[in-house]
Order: sequence, then C-alpha cells, then structure tokens
Amino acid sequence: MNLAPGNIFGFYALLVASAVVLVVIWVAKKGSFVPTLRRITGLDAMEEAVGRATEMGRPVHFSPGIADIAGEFAPQTFAAMEVLSFLTGLSAKYDSELIVSIRMPTVFPVAEDVVKQGYLAAGKADKFKESCVRFLSSEQFAYIAGVLGIMHREKVAANIMVGGFWAESLLMAEGGAHVGAIQIAGTANMLQIPFFVAACDYTLIGEEIYAGGAYLSQDRIKLGSIASQDYLKLALMAMLFVGAVLMTLDNPWLRNVIVR
Amino acid sequence: MRKEIPILITLVIGLIFLLSPITTGNIPGTEWSLRKLVADALSPWTIVIAAFALGLASANLVRIHGNIISRKRTGWVYSTILVVTLLFFGITRTLVELDPANTEMAKFYGNFFNFLYNPLSGAMFALLAFYIASAAYRAFRLRSLEATILLVAAVIVMLGAAPVGALIWDYFPSLQTWLLRVPNLAGQRAIIIGAALGGFTTSLRILLGLERGHFGGEQ
Repeated sequence: MNLAPGNIFGFYALLVASAVVLVVIWVAKKGSFVPTLRRITGLDAMEEAVGRATEMGRPVHFSPGIADIAGEFAPQTFAAMEVLSFLTGLSAKYDSELIVSIRMPTVFPVAEDVVKQGYLAAGKADKFKESCVRFLSSEQFAYIAGVLGIMHREKVAANIMVGGFWAESLLMAEGGAHVGAIQIAGTANMLQIPFFVAACDYTLIGEEIYAGGAYLSQDRIKLGSIASQDYLKLALMAMLFVGAVLMTLDNPWLRNVIVR
Repeated sequence: MRKEIPILITLVIGLIFLLSPITTGNIPGTEWSLRKLVADALSPWTIVIAAFALGLASANLVRIHGNIISRKRTGWVYSTILVVTLLFFGITRTLVELDPANTEMAKFYGNFFNFLYNPLSGAMFALLAFYIASAAYRAFRLRSLEATILLVAAVIVMLGAAPVGALIWDYFPSLQTWLLRVPNLAGQRAIIIGAALGGFTTSLRILLGLERGHFGGEQ
C-alpha cells in the first residue's frame, strides 16, 4: 500500500499538523500552558438571549444547520452539538423552553441525546420532553417552512443557529427577525456569513463556531486545540510568504514540493 | 464502555475513510484496497444507519404531531395534513420500490412530487428575494462606521455590476472588480483558512475521542 501521487506532501503535512495539535493539547492538559481565548461576543450573548426568553416566557429556538454528521461539513455539525450542550445547560438553569429543529435524520438521535444528557447533568431530567428536539424534514425547503412555522406559532424569543447553513440561512434569520427574536448565528460556509451579518444581532464567523465548545466550557483539551490552530496559522502564513517570495524570484521549489 | 466502543469505531472507520482516497494498492496480506473496503464494505453501512435514523426521526415527527391532533391543539389541521402526507409519500414510494416495473405507480408518485412538492419548495426559495431586501435595509442603515463601509461597498458593487453604473461613472465596473478581487477575496481567504483549521482540529478531536460533546457533554 502506497501513497497516491499528489498526496505525499498532504499526508506528511497532516501528520505534522496532527502532532502540533496533540502536543499543544498535551501541554495545555498538563496545565503548564493554559491558553486564553479572546472575547467572542456572539457566545457571550447566549446567556443574555436565554435569560431574555425566560423573562418573556417564550421559547429558545436552536438549529444545528442542515449538514450531516459525516462528510466534509460534519465538523460544523459537531461544533453545533457543543453549543447545543451548553445551551441546554443554560435552558435548564434559567428554566426556559428549548426547541431544537433538525433537518438531517442522522443528526436527530445525536441532538436528542445531547439535550437529554444536558438536562440530566443539570439535575432537571424532567424538563426534557419529546417535543424539545423535533425532526422536521430532510428536504431543505420543507425544513425551512417548518422552522418558520415554529418561529411564528411559538413566538420564539431567541433564535440561535450554529452549524452548516446554505440557502436557508437568510430565510431563517429573517424569519427570526420578523418575530422579534434576539439572534445569534454562526457558520463556516463562507457564502452564508454575509446573510447572518446582515440579519442577526451577533454572528460567529468561520473558525469562531469551532471555538464555541472551548470558549463556553473552558475545557483545557479544547482550549489547547484552539491554541494549536494559531500555531498552524503561523506556519501557513510563513509558507505563504516564502512561497510568494520564491515564485516572485521564479523559483518553483516549494510549489513542486506541495504538488508531490 | 458506552462511550469507549463508539470512540474506537469512530477512530478505525475515520482513519479508513481518511486514507482511502490518498492510498493505492492492497492492504498488506489481503486482496482488498482501502477504496474497495470503503465502497463495498463500509458505504452500505452508512445507508443502513441513515435508514434507521430516518425511522427514529419519522417516529418523532408522528408522535409530536399525533399528540397535537389527539389533543386538538392550535394548528391540529396542519398536523393532520403533515402526517397524512408523510404516510402517503412513504407508502407510494415503498410501492414504487417494491415493483419497479409498475410505471403507473411511479408516475403517480412522480406527479405528486413534481407538481406539489417542487412548486412549494420553489415558493420557499423565492421568498429569499424579499428577505434579501428587508435584511439589506436593516444592514445598510447608517448606524455605525462598519455599516457605512458596508453600505458604500455594496452601492459600488451594485453600480459596478449594473449597466447603468458604467453610464454614471466609467470607473464603477473596475472599482467593483477591485473590491471583489482584492479586499473581499483577501478577507474570504483568511476566513476559509481559519475555518479549515478549525474543522481539522475538531475532526482530530472527534477521531481521537477528545471531543465528547456529542455524547451529551461529558468530557
């Protein structure tokens, strides 16, 4: 078994990057270096959003997006589950109703388990109801119709959307704005970020959604992995700089190494 | 063991899926390549798992709306339509799959899908046009320096893309191109690199079992 041509650099880069992540996690776990994260207002605002919903006696709506738990967009769904876990804790703490709408059937049992365990961990297992996590439809626009229906019928006070979103992003964000909900949204899908920025009160941009779990839980392992991203970014910046200089000098060495 | 076994399965299957597109040749001592293993042995399992998940999700849908119907809560008529439609589409599609030679049934199912679901789906998508206008109105209100920059950039891009822009000022199209290709593209690339690294570290944490939020929040 050999590496296919064109993947050699990618494979070794993956090994090195994985090693960097694991070393930083290990150091952070030991406690000799505990990374601190900058303030992310969108994540800070979650407590305010849930508190507001409790005061108004109206529910909080959460959508983990329409991505699956497999494939290239899966990390966004797992990042959404991290936020959902935290949100469930807040919902239990403030005694507010939480509605989670699901598009992908494979995400449904995961989200249901996250909410169930979240209430259980908060000592409020009785707060979990079957209607907390609702599968609406695996069809994109039927799902949106269902979400808009929930927003209008149940008059949600807070609408939190974190995960992989596509054409439905603006429909959901505007639906939330029309019912006067405080809105926090985040996605790593580049083309949908402007819609969230335009329509929502707070937006998590790109990598910020992956920092959600670490930021909200302050878990050292997760904090370490977030810090490791900065080291990898520095390495990438150095590579971009060296590559730009070499190509300007008409030296294709780095490019030839990368395409191997 | 409730968590260790799923983590082990995730690690092994994740590594196979990760390595299958970048390796060639057979696994040592076998006649199976990783690609063949994924295509013939693992992929069918994803279909089985998805089918079970769909069953669970549909049961949740029927239970929630069945409850609304039985208690005659607000909107129970819509819940009835939803459950009846779910059963109708489920049964007709099953009949199509059981007897593929029955073209009449396939046509009957296709008609409902093409002439009922698709127009409704298109109508939902069309709502975007109106929502873009209302979102743009809110975003472009001159509330802050950022909103002002957004408004100015948007006006330049719109005028650059519309034929009337070039009639007003010759430089609008080239200014639009510069805005999209230089500051906009630089920002986009930075976000994409950050998001890709975020996705990578999250995936690594999941593969190694360091990320357990999806198990219910316990670390």
